[in-house]
Order: sequence, then C-alpha cells, then structure tokens
Amino acid sequence: MNEPAPPSGELIFTRVFEAPRELVFACMTKPEHLTHFWGPAGVSTPIEHIRVDPRPGGVFEAVMVNDADGSQYRMRVIFDEVTEPERLIWTDQDTGMRTTSTFTDLGGSRTEVQIHQANVPEPMRRPEAQQGFLTSLDRFAVYLGALAAGPRDGG
Amino acid sequence: MNQLDATFTALADPTRRAIIARLATGDATVNELAAPFDMTLPGISKHLKVLERCGLISRTRRAQFRPCHLEWQGLDRAADWIEEARRVWAERFDQLDQHLRDIQREAASE
Repeated sequence: MNEPAPPSGELIFTRVFEAPRELVFACMTKPEHLTHFWGPAGVSTPIEHIRVDPRPGGVFEAVMVNDADGSQYRMRVIFDEVTEPERLIWTDQDTGMRTTSTFTDLGGSRTEVQIHQANVPEPMRRPEAQQGFLTSLDRFAVYLGALAAGPRDGG
Repeated sequence: MNQLDATFTALADPTRRAIIARLATGDATVNELAAPFDMTLPGISKHLKVLERCGLISRTRRAQFRPCHLEWQGLDRAADWIEEARRVWAERFDQLDQHLRDIQREAASE
C-alpha cells in the first residue's frame, strides 16, 4: 500500500481510507476536520489558526503547535488547482514545494489518497521545465541506488 | 533558495549527476572529471561551483590540483528530507483514518 520512497527529491505516499471520496476530500479542505489530524503525532493544529480558501489562488494556512514545548510552525500554501472531489494541488510559499493530492473512488465507500510531493525550486516551476526536472530526478534515483550500494571512502 | 532546494536543483543536471557518480568512486581533479565530457575546463568548473555551493562536494586548498571530494552528508540530507516528509504524512493519515472512523460512527448512531 505504501510504496518505497523514490530516492529522488520526490515523495509519493498512498493510503486507502474506509470512507466515501466526498467525505475524505472534505476532511482535507475544512478546518473543523483538519484540526483533528493535520499536525503529525505530538503536534496540534488549533482550529482558530487554520484558514482554507479552496479555490485556485486561495490560501491554506495553519499554525501547528508542538504539544511538548509549545513551539510553533506556520504553514502557508497557495492552491494551484481545486477539483472537488478528485484533486488538490498546492505550492508552499516558503519552500516552493508542490503537493498534489489525488482522491480515487475505489467503490464500496473506500477512497485512495495519493500524495505526490516534489521540491521544485522557483526557476523550475514552468510546466515544461518541471517535466524535465522530474524526469531528471527519476534518472537520479537509479544513480543514488548505485551510489548507496558502492563503497564509501571514509565519508 | 535554501540549501535543500539548491541540492535538488544541482542534482537535476545530468552532467553534475555524472560528476557525483564519478566522485563516489574516489576523489578526482578537475582534469580527471573533465575527461569523459565534451566540455571545456571552465564549463566543468562552473558545474563544480554549483555542487560546492550546495555542499555536495568540497575542494582541498592544497596545490594546484585541488582534488574534488564528495560530501556524502549532502546526499544524505536529500534522502532525510524524503524520510521526514514520509513520516509526517504517515502520522497525519493515521490520525485522519481515526477521525473518519469517529465521524462515520457518530453519523451512524444519530
């Protein structure tokens, strides 16, 4: 279900949920749902600090609070695409990282969500450049595998 | 651009990946690195500067040979980023799974 990480600056993560697609999509776009799960383990996302404007150019902001020490982390992304209930694409304004969430109806009230994250720097964001970038990274995955298998001369 | 962005940008170029692959087998001078490529020394030097700036390689200051050395931590950092992002999504989706169970149970009992 969760395929191994392509060692390439890209992340593909897949999970199947026992819930209808519309509901899963709503969970990813409504503060009253996001507050229940958005922060990873040990991190809270208070509902008053979540703002979601699900339309192209709209903002998705959240402040995540570390339960242990109260330290805060602010996330701010802008939606590039909102196709309910199939697809969400957003770009992180600080890192340039682009995240595509794809919701697939598997039937029988089951929904697969695939997250595709790529750290795409500013100059590479044009679609044609991005295509080349991702293809290069795919090829690099092969290299990295070969390097990891080879000897390290003392680091 | 932060260092991680710079690392991924540096690795997006096939010549620079070939240089990294060569250095994985051991340190090499600019001349040795330029040999397999149809490229001038200044052309290779430009690529080495990009790799050096993002911390993927280092160059010793001794003599005029200045051999290039692969900094494995740079590659490890790129791999770490992927691992960290994976962990965040795994934990987030564990919680979403629980949340979906909760709200569907509530809806069913109403």
